[in-house]
Amino acid sequence: MTEKSWMYAVLEAVQYEMRQDPNMLWLFELTAPVASNPGLPVINLETEFTRKRVINTGIDEMWMVAATLGAGLAGSKAATYIPYQGAAMPFQIIQNHAGKLRHMTGGVASMPVVFVMEMTGQTPGFAGQHSDYEIDSYYMHIPGVKTVVPSTPYDAKGMMASALRDPNPVVFLYPAGLRELVAEVPDEQYDVPLDKAAVLAEGTDLTIVGSGAGMPEILKAADALKADGMSVEVIDLRSLKPMDTETLVASVGKTKKLLAVDQTYYTLGPAAEVVARVAENVDGARFKRIAFPDAPPPASPEMFLWMRVNADHIANAARKLVG
Amino acid sequence: MHRETDTDCQSSEPGFSPGRRTFLKISVLAGAAATISSTVAYAAGESGFWAKDLEDEQLVDMYRRILRIRWHERTMADKMLTDPTYRGYNHFYAGQEAVAVGICSALRNEGGVEKADLVYSTHRPTGHAIAKGIDLKRMCAENDFRATGLNNGYAAEMHISDPTIGFMGADGMIGPGPVIATGSALAIQARGSGQVVVNFGGDGTYATPHFHSALNNSTLLKLPFIYVIENNLYHQYAHYSLSVPMKDIATAAEPYGIPGIVVDGQDVMQVYNAAKIAVDRARAGEGPTLIEAKTYRYYNHWGAPGATPGELGAFGYDPLAISSFRPERELRAWMQRDPVDISRRILIDWGLLDDAEADAIETEVKAEVTEAFAWAAEQPLCRPEDGLKHVFVDGEVEARQLA
Repeated sequence: MTEKSWMYAVLEAVQYEMRQDPNMLWLFELTAPVASNPGLPVINLETEFTRKRVINTGIDEMWMVAATLGAGLAGSKAATYIPYQGAAMPFQIIQNHAGKLRHMTGGVASMPVVFVMEMTGQTPGFAGQHSDYEIDSYYMHIPGVKTVVPSTPYDAKGMMASALRDPNPVVFLYPAGLRELVAEVPDEQYDVPLDKAAVLAEGTDLTIVGSGAGMPEILKAADALKADGMSVEVIDLRSLKPMDTETLVASVGKTKKLLAVDQTYYTLGPAAEVVARVAENVDGARFKRIAFPDAPPPASPEMFLWMRVNADHIANAARKLVG
Repeated sequence: MHRETDTDCQSSEPGFSPGRRTFLKISVLAGAAATISSTVAYAAGESGFWAKDLEDEQLVDMYRRILRIRWHERTMADKMLTDPTYRGYNHFYAGQEAVAVGICSALRNEGGVEKADLVYSTHRPTGHAIAKGIDLKRMCAENDFRATGLNNGYAAEMHISDPTIGFMGADGMIGPGPVIATGSALAIQARGSGQVVVNFGGDGTYATPHFHSALNNSTLLKLPFIYVIENNLYHQYAHYSLSVPMKDIATAAEPYGIPGIVVDGQDVMQVYNAAKIAVDRARAGEGPTLIEAKTYRYYNHWGAPGATPGELGAFGYDPLAISSFRPERELRAWMQRDPVDISRRILIDWGLLDDAEADAIETEVKAEVTEAFAWAAEQPLCRPEDGLKHVFVDGEVEARQLA
């Protein structure tokens, strides 16, 4: 067990799988698969596995995702890392091919592939195309593709290991704002399931549900609410598809109050799905949902930081719901 | 392919790392004088006489715009390095000024989207914007996130635009820009308004599927479209030999049967001549042209890491470059053929300016740039709730972050 950055922890999982499986490929553009961590050896996938297996491409996300899928169909495990600038460019390949091929082929197509999709939404000042946090909604809508979004270095490593071992295509959402997070992470390889939400705090007054880059602010808000004497249950979805309805229903069945929080746009975000699933299964509960407005993120930090959900927004919403 | 000679422009070889002999040769050629010798300035060959036929005023204005870009970049880099309260940033264009100014000097730069020639820019837009004639003060305010900026604080550097001068805007993505630009060319052709559309793109755009789509459709439809590749050797931090199989991207024009012109991107007159060929062809309804300008950027991909206040260029460590890093010698070799020095030397050689007059213009431009940054810094910040506006033409969206 060593303190590791999110980025290092994820590459550790990839390095382990590539050492186990000599056929596994990693495709990237721009962002080299390199990470360093105090007291640990530098991980550089490109030098360790050579450019035959770790491919630095031109700027062509469509090819990166299509080639990863093609490698999987030919029987090789493959993964690609798409930087946030291009994370919706290959949508068609994932939506119309990866997501449908197993079903359309009556189950004969094999796709042991992982699409690592960077998301931002954390940095003010970069405007619509570089500050957005929206692809969680798009990718979680696709049947046949598992879409996961860890929020801690521990889960990031364990879910990457699980994703690489999963025979289904996995969209591994990678919030860029979290990659500097540091936490205790085991050195050995381990699995974190791709279909279970995590209950991060137990409580009886209120359930707050979020995911990915939204979690740090939710935890901050939960601390403030606890200081006020509120008993708050906090759930990190981790997997958007499949969504762990059971954990959500059990929690709100107890608290009878649900605050669902999104970093993504309000309309059709994961929080909308959370509310719908709980409403179908829990009687007599009260609900609230907060999210980024249905507007592209503006460049001005004054506008952007006001619009992005923060701990104050979450705590205020919780007080209205409970009060 | 219509290929201009660039035999002395050896740095454009993929994987170029100047041997000691080449490096010394370039240094000796340029080192004797404060500015580069005319021999080197003209070494890339000439593609036509059009630049020599321009009015004195136009030629001096080209020099002035090159300086305006250069001092905008240097002033902003220094602000980023020295002023912790300054929040603006840039993908710096310094080193490539002659490309933007040479191309835009062959264009109509006023009259709005229905009359002006249209320019689609990149994530490295400030040079293109200044060359097209953007309001410098309002651009500085936009890049500083001010409510009175060019785009009211919604855009900042990566999305600045001003349709009134035909500057269709910066774009943070690599790929879609040129394809969208061909749609503008299609509209222009259908309505017969005689405009042309220029798309600027880097060497990185060659690898995208959109590159083929833009050239294929514009050729099939004979659209008034000009694709200007600024080959500065690097897409972000990766050398272009990693994403392009040929030395000259302009050779990609061959299978479409359209002209592909390689031009010395450090010499504004050569760039102008190439642009003139392409613009005349487009206006005559003969179809698109691919121009590849060989050039180089003096700063790293983004911001000013590795730069020193008061000095031109970034030679130091860039943490964002991670594993790939351009050699300092390569940058120093390119700086021997500086577009500011070359344009100044040409105007002096042609008898339009003497050293004192050239210096006076530079002093004026510096003052103008300083004033623009100072004006920007006094402009009001945005109101947070205005972020809910401009999603649609009318009204505003709801504040969903508030319960």
